[in-house]
Amino acid sequence: MLTVPSVTPDAISELSAREMRRAVVRRWLFRFSVLIGWTAFIGVWYLFSRLVFNPQQLPEPHVVATESWTIITEQDVRTHMQASLLRVLAGFLLAAVVSCGLGWLIAYNAWWRTLLRTIVQFTVSTPIVALAILTLVVFGVSSLGPIITTAVVATPYIMMNVAQGLTGVDRRLIVMSESFGRTRSQIITGVLLPSSLISVLAGARLAFAVAWRMELLTEIFAASEGVGFQIRRSFESYDVRGMIAWTVLYIVVMLIFENLVFRQIERRLQGRTA
Amino acid sequence: MATVLIENLTKIYPPTITYPHRVQALGGVNMSVTGNVFVAVLGPSGSGKTTLLNIVAGVETPTSGSVRAVQDGVPAQVGYVFQEPRLLPWRTVLNNMLYVQDRKSDRSRREAEFYLTMVGLNEVAHLYPSQLSAGMQQRVGIARAFLVNPDILLMDEPFSHMDALTGRSLREYLQRVWLHTRKTALFVTHDVSEAVELADRIVMLRPGGVVFDDIPVNLPRPRHPDDPAVRAVEGEVLRRFDSMEAAVRFGAQAG
Amino acid sequence: MTDVAQRPPAAPGPNDPYGQVPRTAPAQPRPNDPTTFASGFQELPTLPVGDLRPARDAGYSAPRRALRRPWVVQLIAFLILLAVWQYLTVASDRVPSIDNILSFMWTEVTGGSHGGMLVGEFWGPLGLSLQRYAIGLAIGIPAGAVLGLALGTSSWVRGLLNDTTLVLLALPAVVWAFLASLWFGLTSTAPIVAVVLTAIPFVAINFSSGVRSIDPTLMEMSKAYQVSRRNQTVDLLLGGTLPNAFTGVRLAFTTGWNSLLIVEWFGATAGVGWRARFWYDALRYAGFVGWILLFVLLITLLDRLVLRRLERHAFQWNQKPTLSFAEDWGM
Ligand SMILES: Nc1ncnc2c1ncn2[C@@H]1O[C@H](COP(=O)(O)OP(=O)(O)OP(=O)(O)O)[C@@H](O)[C@H]1O
Ligand SMILES: [Mg+2]
Repeated sequence: MLTVPSVTPDAISELSAREMRRAVVRRWLFRFSVLIGWTAFIGVWYLFSRLVFNPQQLPEPHVVATESWTIITEQDVRTHMQASLLRVLAGFLLAAVVSCGLGWLIAYNAWWRTLLRTIVQFTVSTPIVALAILTLVVFGVSSLGPIITTAVVATPYIMMNVAQGLTGVDRRLIVMSESFGRTRSQIITGVLLPSSLISVLAGARLAFAVAWRMELLTEIFAASEGVGFQIRRSFESYDVRGMIAWTVLYIVVMLIFENLVFRQIERRLQGRTA
Repeated sequence: MATVLIENLTKIYPPTITYPHRVQALGGVNMSVTGNVFVAVLGPSGSGKTTLLNIVAGVETPTSGSVRAVQDGVPAQVGYVFQEPRLLPWRTVLNNMLYVQDRKSDRSRREAEFYLTMVGLNEVAHLYPSQLSAGMQQRVGIARAFLVNPDILLMDEPFSHMDALTGRSLREYLQRVWLHTRKTALFVTHDVSEAVELADRIVMLRPGGVVFDDIPVNLPRPRHPDDPAVRAVEGEVLRRFDSMEAAVRFGAQAG
Repeated sequence: MTDVAQRPPAAPGPNDPYGQVPRTAPAQPRPNDPTTFASGFQELPTLPVGDLRPARDAGYSAPRRALRRPWVVQLIAFLILLAVWQYLTVASDRVPSIDNILSFMWTEVTGGSHGGMLVGEFWGPLGLSLQRYAIGLAIGIPAGAVLGLALGTSSWVRGLLNDTTLVLLALPAVVWAFLASLWFGLTSTAPIVAVVLTAIPFVAINFSSGVRSIDPTLMEMSKAYQVSRRNQTVDLLLGGTLPNAFTGVRLAFTTGWNSLLIVEWFGATAGVGWRARFWYDALRYAGFVGWILLFVLLITLLDRLVLRRLERHAFQWNQKPTLSFAEDWGM
């Protein structure tokens, strides 16, 4: 009754070895195209700085690279990067504290939800350049201005995710805890906080990206130190080399925060809850 | 006249990151279907039924062996009812039907509406798939397969997404439509009574994608699932499955 | 008789002002019972599709009910924003008051003099900025769309250009603006180039993720039915990309407007940004803030009234039972 499969085990292994090889070749082709892509990017950059513009207008990649290195090793990278980072962290922490309260409010209170929704919709569609310029008007050139504006921009994102985390909590867990006679504070620390933490962290990461962008812009308009200020100063003295070098450092710091700090914390947390 | 000729068909999926082993979905299937017959492919879950239809439809390539689906010497047009509805979520039901038409004329629109009426869905032609129940979506898939005026109908468990009541009436409906059109049909299912009710011939697969039996069903149509003759064939099919399982188990012990 | 009279008034039933929006709120006010903490979680908001309306207001006294009307709450929100501004006016001498801004802008429109300063340029700078913006987007959006479609459909192109696109995306708009004005000087080319360069990566990335979000089983389906090339392109590829494409286009509109303002602020002799800078340098804060607010108003109106509505329309087929807060609040 049984029909024996008409392929021998040898044939099977040979066939799939071919498919495996094909998959490997395809993967290497893709890596190769990525390599070509980067080469082309650098090459086009060289072409532009030699042929279309002059090295004054667009310095070559290696010049920018050495300039970045010089900034890191010799120049005042410490003072400026530190200034920017301190301000953005201050604004971020301020936003975090405020949003915990507001997030709680909008999660459980419909009236506050409508109110804050209107305000958030207004501030979110305001272009950040306009906010940066208004910072200049309201606070002048100071440290306080960038901090406040950064906090204002970051707050909606954290607040939103606090609320999302709180409403996403499995209600059965709360009812269960209550039926076991846990107190209110026990439920908060034991159920609510842990289960909303991941959502809050996602919001924090987004908020940090937005805050870091906002920080740069406010510094361009209304600061006397910091990365943005340096970029602006380079621009005003026609120093494209310095400008691009500072931009590269700015992006690197952003990537470090994105990929190392936040991603690591998230992974830790997920490992614990999973 | 449409013909499906399957010769020594093998499909082996290479290892993936999540499942680092080769999977033999089909192991040397030989089968030929000619003319206006309704063939049911019956097998338990994972026996390679979907893979078989995908290869016949030209969606997947075989590892070895060959499949030819021709109509009077030219490649046949297939109408494929997939295991899931596979509708464009961003198009309305009617536009999903028109999607498989080459031109969007008034005539094709009327045809589309005709087949939607056939599955009882012309009322919802202007809704999006997400607004339909799973069974309704599957019915749109059935209407779509008829719309292309196929030479060969491929159906992959078309009724498994619906409640038993709708499935039963659609089964009956499919039988009537098929008697009317008599398209060559390959019908995949794991439901024995479904196979016996609809098919002229039942090809039985076992895990590993191996045909272990092929029995004709010579009952008069239209058939009714409660008919004693239908019941008798069902019993015979089940008995052969049991003896296959016993043989496999016995073979495993002996080896 | 007395039985009937003593019965509490029935909760308002079918005459619901909001139509079919499903709501989970109770018809009766819920006594705030501190003993059962969980009771507060029984009625967590299920966010309905579309507007998030406040809970039904039955059972509250008339003034409180009025306070819970959505438009009243929105009005309160705007009053709060106005109050903040008014406070800043008092607290800082650089912040002009609202009426001052309005009267200044009115003289800008009609011409004449304001506080001894000759003003009266409104349509010129505004028209020029809008023209630059339109040209920049007309170049940037199609270019980004083509790049994005190529990135999404071909793995070769993705290998070649995906990283480059991400690098361009990571560059802040302000850097593009600075580079453009260094390269092209005080011409109209600089703002246009800045708008183009900021728009392209946003559009491209969103188009490409739109293409890649299309379910591959739908392509199998198209292959089985031998669907024509035209239908595959229009219905499958473009239809599936459309929602993400709208997001990309909306972002291109907003970031393009941003970089336009920066270029005009730092290096232009005309346009909205230049006019704002002009009044800033002249220490006329009313004119300066007025122009900035005009700039904000234009993009906010475009964003809320046109772009987001189109985006929502493109997502219409996606009938989700609930929206996340971020989706509902349009972030
Ligand atoms: N794309 C794939 N990659 C790797 N393995 C696959 C793939 N598709 C199917 N398989 C494997 O091939 C075998 C047969 O799968 P197939 O979908 O054809 O089964 P089936 O008979 O249709 O089952 P069901 O009745 O549950 O639909 C299974 O073991 C499955 O794990
Ligand atoms: Mg299957």
